[in-house]
Amino acid sequence: MQYESERIMTNTLANPAEKLLFEVSKTGRRCLRLPELDVPKVDVKAALKGAKLRQKPANLPEVGELDLVRHFKNLAQKNFSVDRNFYPLGSCTMKYNPKINVTLLSLPGFTKAHPHLPEADLQGHIELMHTLEGWLREISGLAAVTLQPAAGAQGEMTGLMVIKAYFEEKGEGKTRRKVIIPDNAHGTNPATAALAGFETVTLKGKADGNVDLELLKSLVGPDTAAMMITNPSTLGILEPNMVEIARILHAAGAQLYMDGANMNAIQGMVRPGDYGVDVMHFNLHKTYSVPHGSGGPGAGPIAVAKHLEPYLPYPRPMKTDKGYTLANPNPKQTIGKVRSFFGNYGALVMAYIYMSQLGREGVRRNGENAVLNANYLRARLRGTFHIQNDKPCAHEVVFTDAIQHKEYGVTALDIAKRMIDYGIHPMTIYFPLPAVTGGHGAMMVEPTETESKETLDYFVEVMQKIAAECKDNPEVVRNAPHTTPVSRVDEKTATTNPQLYCAMCIA
Amino acid sequence: MPFIQNTDADRAEMLKAIGVGSIEELFRDIPANLRLKMSDAGVLKLPPGKGELEVTRHIQDLLSRTRNAGDYAYFRGGGIYNHFVSTVVDHIALFDGSFITAYTPYQPECSQGTLTFIFEFQSSITALTGLEVANASMYDGASALAEAMMMGKHVSEDRHRKENRNTFVLAGAVNPEYMQVCRTYADVAGLKVVHVAPGPDGRVDGDALAKALTRKVFAVAVQSPNYLGIIEDVEAVVAAARENEILVVQAIGEALSLALLQTPAESGVDVCVGEGQSLGNHQFLGGPAFGFFASKKDWLRKMPGRIVSETKDKDGRRAFSLALATREQHIRREKATSNICTNQSLCALRALIHLAAWGKQGFVELAEHTVAKTQYAMQKLAAVPGVKLAHPGVPVFNEFVIQAVPGLEKKLLKKKVVGGLPLDKYGKGRRGQYLVAVTEVTTKADIDRYAEALAEAMKGKPVAV
Repeated sequence: MQYESERIMTNTLANPAEKLLFEVSKTGRRCLRLPELDVPKVDVKAALKGAKLRQKPANLPEVGELDLVRHFKNLAQKNFSVDRNFYPLGSCTMKYNPKINVTLLSLPGFTKAHPHLPEADLQGHIELMHTLEGWLREISGLAAVTLQPAAGAQGEMTGLMVIKAYFEEKGEGKTRRKVIIPDNAHGTNPATAALAGFETVTLKGKADGNVDLELLKSLVGPDTAAMMITNPSTLGILEPNMVEIARILHAAGAQLYMDGANMNAIQGMVRPGDYGVDVMHFNLHKTYSVPHGSGGPGAGPIAVAKHLEPYLPYPRPMKTDKGYTLANPNPKQTIGKVRSFFGNYGALVMAYIYMSQLGREGVRRNGENAVLNANYLRARLRGTFHIQNDKPCAHEVVFTDAIQHKEYGVTALDIAKRMIDYGIHPMTIYFPLPAVTGGHGAMMVEPTETESKETLDYFVEVMQKIAAECKDNPEVVRNAPHTTPVSRVDEKTATTNPQLYCAMCIA
Repeated sequence: MPFIQNTDADRAEMLKAIGVGSIEELFRDIPANLRLKMSDAGVLKLPPGKGELEVTRHIQDLLSRTRNAGDYAYFRGGGIYNHFVSTVVDHIALFDGSFITAYTPYQPECSQGTLTFIFEFQSSITALTGLEVANASMYDGASALAEAMMMGKHVSEDRHRKENRNTFVLAGAVNPEYMQVCRTYADVAGLKVVHVAPGPDGRVDGDALAKALTRKVFAVAVQSPNYLGIIEDVEAVVAAARENEILVVQAIGEALSLALLQTPAESGVDVCVGEGQSLGNHQFLGGPAFGFFASKKDWLRKMPGRIVSETKDKDGRRAFSLALATREQHIRREKATSNICTNQSLCALRALIHLAAWGKQGFVELAEHTVAKTQYAMQKLAAVPGVKLAHPGVPVFNEFVIQAVPGLEKKLLKKKVVGGLPLDKYGKGRRGQYLVAVTEVTTKADIDRYAEALAEAMKGKPVAV
């Protein structure tokens, strides 16, 4: 794998100056041509009479097809990706994305499925959504699912909207203003709670990352709407007191929301509904192999307990005697819609294809092997890197830079950058917060179940090598990476003096 | 075992290294009574796993119970359009694993590919809209409008500190999906959404809008071309909003219209959002595609979503990286401008490839081609006895409304025509109206077939009034 990254530098012959599309543009070049106009030609200005037109054409790049393809193939080589690199980015579940996902997705039955087709023409699609909902219901142990949210963060928002609507109908909308969130939660949790109009209350975690039950009891009251909890936690640790946490919230009339970002660990092993969770979201791009797409699209369905079902967004896929239908069964209670049409259907299709292959045993097997792989890395790298909570972890393990930082002045960031030279995508760093990693730079590693033992052994070897470098040759780590098309990037200037477009696009 | 490479021997070795006897021991923090037993098939009612061949057959079977736009002379749009997508787009974005299997470019040194294309995408949106700052994309047009609404509220909190403006105005014929999503977001945020219905000509009712734009309003949105296909006078909305310092948002459902129409920058709007599906993205029942979001630079630090900037590496070479993360949830938590964590990079990549593949001239020609076909379709359909244009004399881009009679769908389907989208539910007085969409995929033969089928379906029906 280390040879892969060395190649990155060299193969840029097509565009040696690394120019942008706008910079290689030349008047008169093009890729696509239109069909012959088979209707009478019109004078566009006359046809659009009464409308104001733009003063000059948008300055889009003009390129031939070969150079267009080469441009993107060159860019492709400047990217690490799961297809080429081990990508243990904690909290992101960068597992292998089976090729069948995209091959079947590119069938015209999907690509040309227009949302306003007559319902009779959508039967297979609605059936797919209905079945997928059923599977997620089974895995969550909850009563109902909506597939509409476009991402995990939108799932969180939908979940809180549902909770809010529930309390409003109960006449407690005005009083239940607060959402309790552990301090090590993903940033989306507090941001979502604020967006959904709640006040956030931060729950300080215990040193081991678990919820402090006494502290929780002191915070929960008649003004609590919900608690958002990530399980396994963002430290990759299974929360042992989920049942008790649910009981505390329910005793006060509040709801328990589970962030399912880390569902890969526990799928098929425990159903969140059995813990007493009222709402959870899935990240289909994490757990069910929808490709991450350089940052999206994903899908963030939510599952809810029976009492919350009436508030789910519409339309909902339903099975009737006459076939499948998209309905709005609770028009008075539904929160409405969070996304146009039916959500990221193409992403749902890929999750469906993947889950069809997993089946019941596969779901469980994935969780088991994800956890096994993470614990193997924990065992192998113990001693080389400091571990804040050295006990069995779930699907990810949090190391820190405590040893390397204290002894040799090398940080988690430096270590992460050095990994790139060995062809491994860096782990997630500085998350969870220093508060829960003893003030040290966190390095959160999530290998996923799809990696082989050989790859994990290679990773261990690399990390040991880097640890040795921190001691013997810290400069090589501090100045890493050395094999990439660019050296360490000045991210600060990107923020203080942002340059957000190529000047030639408005020339 | 599909997708798992560990063998039993590997697992045994790994367990030994960990120092536990079984995988289940690693799950000891889950109460034993809650742990599922795989021996009990009733506990997790999923079907057994299938191989690639079986799954392929199964998907083909499901698709056999569907029909798609390609099976018909197809005339529906309403926010998602039946465009041609170049094979180049799928080869790069779908079948090359380099972009689709990467993630958010947190580590710029090994993500220059992604960062560069996002920068080029932002530049393309700037080229199209004329607005200085575009983000790396949103979920879809509808949620992009809702995010613009939330941004409008934040801007107003700064600009009009003591006024506590709380109303968002939707002016004229806005896509109902967008309106519903805005209302859902507004409900929980405690904002009021006021819809000013379009006037009889299908355009923004200027008088009614002027009355609605009080100092309680923090932002107003106008869709152009609007949901009925009509090109609005966006400048007039900007002028109406000026006196009370109301943020103006333009929403766009058909991004191809940007090739010809006055740019959002030229009409003076603050923010332009829209649905990007038209730009190289497949239909997929409406998603995934992406929302675009562009703004005047004044509001940069209030914007939602990922943003990429040009910068330099340590050795002075040009490089790209994520920028302005201090607006975002992972830094600002409950004070973030939005809860958005990702963008729709891959869909944005598709748009970039699409725009470059058509190019500066080609993109204009594509739009002009569409206008010619739309004009032809208007003439043909309006010439059918009993049918007329619902809003004659107003400019449209690629969609228009015909007035016929309700319940024509089935008769058209028999002729393999999916006619315009029935508007009966879209507002008062729209009974028997249909929203007809045309793209470059639509042929003259399709249009003629529609007109013929419509004529036959209309036989003996009362003339539209």
